[in-house]
Amino acid sequence: MLAYGRHLLKRLGQFVLVVFIGVNITYIVTHATPINPVEQTIAAVTNFGNTSPDAIEDMRRSLKALYGLEGNIWEQYVGFWGRVLVGDFGPSLSAFPTPVSTLIGRALPWTIGLLLVATVMAWLLGNLLGGLAGYFPRSRTFRVVGVIAMALHPIPYYIVAFVLLIIFGFLWPILPIAGGSGMNIRQAFTAEFVLSTLKHSILPALSLVLASAGGWFIGMRALVSNVVTEDYVTYAELAGVPKRRILGFYVMRNALAPQLTGLAMSLGAIFNGAIITEQVFGYPGVGTLLVEAVHKGDYSLVLGVTTVSIIAVAAAVFIIDLLAPLIDPRVRAVDTAEAHA
Amino acid sequence: MSAMPLLELRDVGRTFSAGIFSRRRVRAVAGVSFELAGDRPEVFAVIGESGSGKTTLARMILGAIAPTAGLILFRGRDLRSLRSSHDRLDFMRAVQPIFQNPFEAFNPLKRVDRYLYASARRFAAAAGIAEAERLADTALHQVGLTLAEVKGRFPHELSGGQLQRSAIARALISRPSLIVADEPVSMIDASLRMTVTNLFRSLRDQLGVSIVYITHDLATAYYVSDRIIIMRKGEVVERGDAAEVLRAPRHPYSILLKDSVLSIEGANGGDATPSHATT
Repeated sequence: MLAYGRHLLKRLGQFVLVVFIGVNITYIVTHATPINPVEQTIAAVTNFGNTSPDAIEDMRRSLKALYGLEGNIWEQYVGFWGRVLVGDFGPSLSAFPTPVSTLIGRALPWTIGLLLVATVMAWLLGNLLGGLAGYFPRSRTFRVVGVIAMALHPIPYYIVAFVLLIIFGFLWPILPIAGGSGMNIRQAFTAEFVLSTLKHSILPALSLVLASAGGWFIGMRALVSNVVTEDYVTYAELAGVPKRRILGFYVMRNALAPQLTGLAMSLGAIFNGAIITEQVFGYPGVGTLLVEAVHKGDYSLVLGVTTVSIIAVAAAVFIIDLLAPLIDPRVRAVDTAEAHA
Repeated sequence: MSAMPLLELRDVGRTFSAGIFSRRRVRAVAGVSFELAGDRPEVFAVIGESGSGKTTLARMILGAIAPTAGLILFRGRDLRSLRSSHDRLDFMRAVQPIFQNPFEAFNPLKRVDRYLYASARRFAAAAGIAEAERLADTALHQVGLTLAEVKGRFPHELSGGQLQRSAIARALISRPSLIVADEPVSMIDASLRMTVTNLFRSLRDQLGVSIVYITHDLATAYYVSDRIIIMRKGEVVERGDAAEVLRAPRHPYSILLKDSVLSIEGANGGDATPSHATT
């Protein structure tokens, strides 16, 4: 238990460090752009008429305060962290004066709901089928599944997405092709809304699962076919351990460790995936928000979305790091060895 | 009347189909016959290079794979008739395996002592945890370990030698009459090699266990075994009393085997006996 506590502390330290470095890079990049949000807002507001220079000066002062651009660079930087820690990224430029946090709060559930669920589903499906295919290499069914996985695996994700759109949106139009839910439905927790959301998520989720489950399948099948030749599997079979237990506790769990690391890495790619998926399917998530923010030069929104995604990805990896030693005792051993070294 | 043989192999063969697309078949073992007496325990060595079919033969004797030709009888019963889990357990109680690689012999997720308790319950009808622990400790003592050394440890927390000895202890718990040891000493260091081979001797002499000792190591085979067969490309090329065969091999392959072991000694001016044999 002490070793696990040490593991937890170490991973927590890594998590904090990754978030700190990531947010700093985002801060530097956004502040190094030639976009000046204050002048842009003033330009937008004064576009429609004559404003007195005093009023403009007042506006400039309060906008600088809003965007955290007062004082020297160091004061700005400290102020920035102070606001980030309470989740305040200032007002959005493109949707002035809506706060960035409100916009992100609106978009985030869509992205998490679609991409996290689809990624985890693809992982579970691919690993389960891959494990079975590796354990029963002679099964006709799993050989067919293997051929399908091999065929799907190299196709780029967006091709899969467009093919699905053409099939189910155009040739046989049974599913909605864009949006997160029906436009005419109030976003409240009603059966109608939930149903509409699910219906809208089928195509994007299916495209994600089809495009990535194949990779998990192939990886897991290879890992399992290595594990089944190990003597402890033979011994368990000889000793009459039930097949189901051999598959679960002897074969799959021993093959799972590298796949879990892979899951952590693909969770990291969720926000990259969000940009493409949400563009193709017009999904109202963080990816769409980010692309719009970049196009409109919405400085604070870019900063907000990037920061949130850095924290989310680092948190996902952190959680998986915490699970790893529970699944494989050898991870614990490495950590203890490092602690002693 | 002589007692029923413990183990009998009649013209045993095994072929594998090679690859998914090819019709070619690989012959791993062909026409192997031998018999272990039921009333006189012995160490029976199967010698051969990698790919000679030794391991396939071991897996067939253990019932892990079925022969494609011939018959394997254990105490007069065809191994193919062992279908029910009850029969399998009975068979495993009497015939225990020891594998080559100690790091592969235990599930990395399972504590080593759990294996010993499971064996005690499954094969030795240990009633409670206390009795299982006692049986495990006794078996570990026979291989020079104690329960305290392995208790609560995962396989990666033990050394290769400790693991291989735990694997042997696991095999001893059920008080088997036959142990099939597939290259049990090839992955452990030289000092421990002698401990294990000596252990095989004492198992035979004190506990009356017969051992099928599969190896490519002529020195330990000469030292520990009563009879040997030498296999090449799945077939038995020479057989007989261990000392006789190894002192004066007749088949060209056996002569080659022996010469390749002794060539180093020859260069040092040693005599023509394997180095361990006289120790």
